[in-house]
Amino acid sequence: MKNTRERAIMSRYDFRKTSVKLVYGLMVICIALISLSMLYPFVNTFLGSLKTTKEFFTFPTPFFPSNWLWENYKESLTLFNITKYFKNTLFIFFGNTVFSLTFIGLAAYSLSHLRVPMKKWITLYFLSTLLIPAASYLIPNYLNLKGFGLLNTYWAFWLPAGANAFFLLLLKNFFDGIHKELFESARIDGASELRCFLGIAIPLSAPILVTLVLLGFSTTWNDFYWSYLVMKEDKLPLAAAIYSKIIYPGSTINWNIRFAILTMTLIPPVVLFLFFQRFIIGGLSVGAVKG
Amino acid sequence: MELQLGTPIAKPGLRRKTRWYFWGLLFLIPEILIFFLFLWVPIFKGIVYSFYSVDFVSGNVFVGWKNFADVLSNPDYYTAVKNTLVYMGLAVLIGFWMPIAMAIAVSELKWFQGSARVIGYLPSIIPAIVLYAMWKWFYDPIGPINSFLNFLGLPSFDFYSREHAVLSLIILETWQNFGSATLIYIAALTAVPKDLYEASELDGAGVWARIRYITLPSIKGLILVLLGLQLIATSQSFQSQLTMTNGGPDNATLTYLLLTTREAFNNFNFGNASAMGSIMFVVLVVCSVVTIKLRRGGDGG
Repeated sequence: MKNTRERAIMSRYDFRKTSVKLVYGLMVICIALISLSMLYPFVNTFLGSLKTTKEFFTFPTPFFPSNWLWENYKESLTLFNITKYFKNTLFIFFGNTVFSLTFIGLAAYSLSHLRVPMKKWITLYFLSTLLIPAASYLIPNYLNLKGFGLLNTYWAFWLPAGANAFFLLLLKNFFDGIHKELFESARIDGASELRCFLGIAIPLSAPILVTLVLLGFSTTWNDFYWSYLVMKEDKLPLAAAIYSKIIYPGSTINWNIRFAILTMTLIPPVVLFLFFQRFIIGGLSVGAVKG
Repeated sequence: MELQLGTPIAKPGLRRKTRWYFWGLLFLIPEILIFFLFLWVPIFKGIVYSFYSVDFVSGNVFVGWKNFADVLSNPDYYTAVKNTLVYMGLAVLIGFWMPIAMAIAVSELKWFQGSARVIGYLPSIIPAIVLYAMWKWFYDPIGPINSFLNFLGLPSFDFYSREHAVLSLIILETWQNFGSATLIYIAALTAVPKDLYEASELDGAGVWARIRYITLPSIKGLILVLLGLQLIATSQSFQSQLTMTNGGPDNATLTYLLLTTREAFNNFNFGNASAMGSIMFVVLVVCSVVTIKLRRGGDGG
């Protein structure tokens, strides 16, 4: 990377000036401090999960635990059935992925490669929802699901997961980039449209599909308020369960137990991020186009 | 034979049309239905319910503009509107320029640029609920920040007081979001042609002048888009207020959406909540349209 590096705003000649050197040094220190502040919460949460309750109330709080209390994890697992909530979250996530990608994928393929009457209007029907802020139909959405009798069922997540105009836009844009000739020749060889979709469009769009699955994961893993409204007790996903049982206002659960649960909740996103870094950061610039 | 030729023309190709469009429609219909049932129906119901008293037991009753009158006569409503506007404004003042400055700084780094990007993105992967729990402890009267202040010999700071609660929340949200915004800006900065810098340097432009007259104008379009998106996002914020302060102290962090959800799920007054949603709907759709207009203008410039 170094040898191909182009110049940026500053050139080598700028560094001859003392003032530039000073500001640059200051800037590097700032970046270093900010980076530290971004790492600190992770370390602090993990170390906090190994402390004794007493250590939390000694003032000032020590950074490292005096001895590493792994029992906190055992205690938190008896207090909070994390595996159950974890399973619920995964169940919601898998269903969401299957439903959203199947229906959105078919529709996106149809809009970009098939004959559709009034294509412009149908596209507008889907994409104009991007302009409508989710918050403004939060309440009627809840009432709507209640009306269908879907509350406290997984269908309340799976079916609406397909109504995602943002995913539809991303997939459609990606499909638009696939050459029509590929499909034409497959059709001449007698492939049905379903075959074209499954055999050509899907394999070619693997990168965008991975990005969408990861986006879906982070949404499901993140969301606590909506799932707390929709699901009850035993069906709550992890984030909602933490909200209603651990972090609720006035909670008296010990900080070390809370931190043990938080650490366990952090592991899956951190692992996924480390594995799929490139896709996630790539997906970010895709997301920026959305506006 | 000639008669047979005539028949498909007499029935103006409805069958032919269906066959012509068969696959296209087959693939689209499920998605059209899903959008209808789970997006368009709620959006329209939101407007309809604004004029109804919603009752699950005795049924909905049309009440005209009563819900709107109720909402607008509630003093908390104006507190919430004011708080939301203040929150949006402060979030821009405190948080909006940070990613721009950071992106310019990081793209000037000679070493560790890659690691700075990855580290900067880390806060964005923390699930919201974990984030709030962490910061609840950081802001705790005996938490690490106050420990550090006392260590320096400074008095403790009450992050949850009436004056400071909003700022505390903005700092936490800025901290979480600015990494991902920084990465978006960095991507845009790499697209700025480097010969512009070369040429202006030869003409004697200093580093600040280069940032002021080349870097910032080149990413102006993106800055406007992200500003619009941030305003739309912050106008809808309520989760951090709900978990960190529950709207308090003394309604200091009561935002518009927090009041809406309270109206619905604490008071079970879904009609009023829908009316609040409809007002927000109108305001935000207008804002979105303006953002798009700005974006079009920004791309041209």
